[in-house]
Amino acid sequence: MTQKLLEVKNLRTSFFTHLGEVKAIRGISFHVNEGEAIGIVGESGSGKSVSSLSVMRLLQFPGKIVGGEVLFKGENLVNKPKKEMMKIRGNEIAMIFQDPMTSLNPVFTVGNQIMEVILKHQKITKTEAKEKAIEMLKLVGIPSPEKRIKNYPHEFSGGMRQRAMVAIALSCEPDLLIADEPTTALDVTIQAQILDLIKGLNTKLGTSTILITHDLGVVADVCSRIVVMYGGLIMEEGTKREIFYEPRHPYTMGLLKSIPKVASDTKTRLVPIVGTPPDLLKPPTGCPFFARCDYAMNICREKQPPYFTINEGHRAMCWLLHDEAPKNELYDSQKGGVRSV
Amino acid sequence: MSENRNLIEVKNLKKYFGKVKGIIKRKVEYVKAVDDVTFHIKKGETFGLVGESGCGKSTTGRTIIRLYEPTAGQIIYDGTDISTLSSRELLKYRKKMQMIFQDPYASLNTRMTVADIIGESLDIHKLASGKERQEKINNLLQSVGLSKDHASRYPHEFSGGQRQRIGIARALAVDPEFIICDEPISALDVSIQAQVVNMLEDFQEERGLTYLFIAHDLSMVKHISNRVGVMYLGSLVEVAEKNELYSKPTHPYTQALLSAIPVPDPDIAEESKRVILTGDVPSPINPPSGCKFRTRCQYVKPICSEEVPELKDIGGGHYVACHVVNN
Repeated sequence: MTQKLLEVKNLRTSFFTHLGEVKAIRGISFHVNEGEAIGIVGESGSGKSVSSLSVMRLLQFPGKIVGGEVLFKGENLVNKPKKEMMKIRGNEIAMIFQDPMTSLNPVFTVGNQIMEVILKHQKITKTEAKEKAIEMLKLVGIPSPEKRIKNYPHEFSGGMRQRAMVAIALSCEPDLLIADEPTTALDVTIQAQILDLIKGLNTKLGTSTILITHDLGVVADVCSRIVVMYGGLIMEEGTKREIFYEPRHPYTMGLLKSIPKVASDTKTRLVPIVGTPPDLLKPPTGCPFFARCDYAMNICREKQPPYFTINEGHRAMCWLLHDEAPKNELYDSQKGGVRSV
Repeated sequence: MSENRNLIEVKNLKKYFGKVKGIIKRKVEYVKAVDDVTFHIKKGETFGLVGESGCGKSTTGRTIIRLYEPTAGQIIYDGTDISTLSSRELLKYRKKMQMIFQDPYASLNTRMTVADIIGESLDIHKLASGKERQEKINNLLQSVGLSKDHASRYPHEFSGGQRQRIGIARALAVDPEFIICDEPISALDVSIQAQVVNMLEDFQEERGLTYLFIAHDLSMVKHISNRVGVMYLGSLVEVAEKNELYSKPTHPYTQALLSAIPVPDPDIAEESKRVILTGDVPSPINPPSGCKFRTRCQYVKPICSEEVPELKDIGGGHYVACHVVNN
């Protein structure tokens, strides 16, 4: 099970706007094992969505991959011709987008849109495709799918539309499912339904999943490994427990501190991360988190830190992990992650 | 912190939106956005209102401040019924009640400078002019963490978090007693949310403000509120002190809603059992008879479809509207 399904190596993506080059992703490397669910967490503008679009090669002008490799089953996707990419998209890698209201085509029926994917990638007849579409809708828990298949997206509620999106994504049994903020536009009770669905597909069908979100609560439930992004770079990567209970990067610590804890009865003041994310038009030369970091040192401004490995699979980009970094009690007190108050 | 005096009392508040049909445009259908809601807010406390989208929590807020005309019921502000006041009489109360809106991108006029956005209410209520107005605006900007240089800029020059600060400064300009926060943090990033929430808490302490905090983020509502009300399809189903509500949720809907919160702690998340609701919220045009939650409730009984459950006190100011619990 430790076969790497997807490996992203030093990927860099930029947007060439009239103001200059916006370096949205500045060299990220991560991998997804077969059957694994990983989470990519970050604030808006951290590059988490752009990285998924880069993997799918769905970037639109003026966005462009400027360097690095995306290895899917050992093949590099970055230089694949358009035609071959189309065979992979929807068939081997599928994607669920954030907004179910805008990502379905309003002038085609839901059934039509599911059948479109199946007919495109599989050599089967229309009737068979229709049966398959009904089966998919049933799988994602839409009641009376035989009737619903004739409905247009506007006749579906938000949660049902997102289910239909999941049905489209899964109709060709992809090996990798990329879910980009799949529940942000939904209510908590519906969110729980969709997350349960994605989690079930991962555990039952063994579909590898990349879940992109800004909500730490969502990844805590679904994913086994977490990648924390900030300013177009991966700040920290580790297993779920390592990220939540033994974070080493001040940004991860800050994120965990800034969310209220439902479990505790006592009221503690939230600790916000001061300031705002960096402007990627002029990315800072040093650590992108430098300006907002409580433990910033001189070197942080001047030089981008390398990755320091804490355990196998747990790494963080921070100068504080260097042997010569001064001891910082405040920093040490935060090492317990969500458990340290 | 909170006194025992009720600042706001909402009694049997109803807000129906008529839907026009046919050639002669008769109103035939009503969307019962708020249907017989009763609660009170004590002076100096924060009352949280939670529920899924479309449950009428924002409409309740807007009707209290009379941005919408109530269909029926009373809104008693500090002893006076304001639900029937004329707009001239209401002006006095508008100064005491302010609102912070959800979308900081849509709630600021893009053609006005920040100084004019904040100063508009000062002009309307004739609170300050000339130099005094300028000074007041500068002080407000500083108190929300912006600088006075920002006064001459336009909203598009600010980030989401900064815009929400401008929205807060605007609400504070007239020295209100009561502020309705309608999802003030939903459009913001996690790290920025904490900044705004802390600021709201500071202002409450400094100025003794009373908040009605409307949100769908249950963990944030727990953090900021003293008491919490849960709404479903236009009705309040449960009201209780926050620790009581979160530790002993009694209404089946509250239980499901709370169990659906994704907990940012892997150990707790893996242990917890979810009550997953099936289906969607029914249409508020034709809500189910009796208890509105009965179509999704796992404890449903025959009585639930016949009678509308009343909001009853089950002890210690914990109100629940459910036949199963109350019998």
